[in-house]
Amino acid sequence: MVDVTLKVNGEKCKVVVAPYETLCGVLRNKLGFTEVKKGCGEGECGACTVLVEGKPVCSCLMLAVQANGREITTVRGLSTDGELHPLQRKFIVYGAVQCGYCTPGMLLVAKALLDSNPRPSEEEVRAAISGNICRCTGYQQIVEAIIAAAAEMNK
Amino acid sequence: MSNTKNFFRPSEYFKPTSVAEAVKLLHQYGEKGAAIAGGTDVLAIKDPRIEVLIDITGLGLNYIKSDSQGLRIGATTTLADIEASPILHEGPYNVLAQTAAQMGTPQIRNMGTIGGNLCNASPSADTAPVLLALDAKLKLVSTLRSREVPLDEFFAGPFLTFKGHDELLTEIVLPPLSPRTGTGYQRLTKITTIDEALVGVAALVVMDDKGEVIKDARIALNSVAPTPMRARQAEEILRGKKVEDGLIEEVAGVVESETSPRSRPDYRRRMSAVLAERTIREAIARATSDWSSGR
Repeated sequence: MVDVTLKVNGEKCKVVVAPYETLCGVLRNKLGFTEVKKGCGEGECGACTVLVEGKPVCSCLMLAVQANGREITTVRGLSTDGELHPLQRKFIVYGAVQCGYCTPGMLLVAKALLDSNPRPSEEEVRAAISGNICRCTGYQQIVEAIIAAAAEMNK
Repeated sequence: MSNTKNFFRPSEYFKPTSVAEAVKLLHQYGEKGAAIAGGTDVLAIKDPRIEVLIDITGLGLNYIKSDSQGLRIGATTTLADIEASPILHEGPYNVLAQTAAQMGTPQIRNMGTIGGNLCNASPSADTAPVLLALDAKLKLVSTLRSREVPLDEFFAGPFLTFKGHDELLTEIVLPPLSPRTGTGYQRLTKITTIDEALVGVAALVVMDDKGEVIKDARIALNSVAPTPMRARQAEEILRGKKVEDGLIEEVAGVVESETSPRSRPDYRRRMSAVLAERTIREAIARATSDWSSGR
């Protein structure tokens, strides 16, 4: 067993993990960050997406030990002091959330996109979410919400 | 893939800080040990035989360097870094960036490495035919020695390479390119999230001063044989030939005859010809368009 420290949404979390435990499993089951969803468990659906130093990764394909000392953002980290991020507000308004299972991953890849590209084209938005499957919405509302959030954030 | 039974239970994890330390660990643990970088294949496959994980991301092997000797890419360079690299932005090496951009998903590209793609040795690995067309050599290091292996002598079978259990892939070396070199990679995919290649063809051509004769050619494919492969007979036909009607179609047919796909063979064979034609034309067009810059 290995002692690791994960900085999750700015907060240091110390946890003991086995070498084979995934970041997804540890975040959900040992640290209580159940907003990180486990979908396929093999990196194909993107539901488990978190940001590691601002970059989207599939937490089911990362070992918790490999995340030691690194900055991790879950969707909980998008809101500040209870105020929803513009992306979250737009997702609600645009009907981009149905069952909600893909939503944490979608929001995080959108956040990462807007951090590096504040005025993405629709094509760039679709490319950014291409690693996240949604079974409910057909993606249109998600794309529109992200573009709307970008517009608001650029005012 | 079932998630209900998981026998992947390595008991130890090391993160060496030098190549010397890493190869010592690989030597010590042999078949029980496995290198892990981005983990996108290791954790997708979850091989129960792995007892010891050796994290190789702390060895400073994430780089792309270009000089008069050619291009050197560190083995743990991520696909995302290859996609975004300013060094690969233009010229014939751009095919590598374009290929990386198509692989997996953005999340997988942020973690997955070029070395991992090669060492996993899937017959459908996309970087493989591109690197074969570019005449890549691999630097393999162990406690006993360091050696350079041409990529076309690296793959042994599906998910099998000639890399020893005690060897670490540290670098991919690409020789410098002649002026008027053009490259291309085209693929068809299995329609899933991951979009694994169904058939892929990479081509490299070197044109003469007038842009009419093909001085040299490389054609490589993935997903149509037990390993990524070169279509050597087709290459031989192209060499020294003037680009004329019928030549490329003929060569595409030869490429098809050199493939040996296991599953969906009829479709894959036919598509290898279709893609070979497209890719060769793309490479020729790029060779003749880049020549004004002398590259």
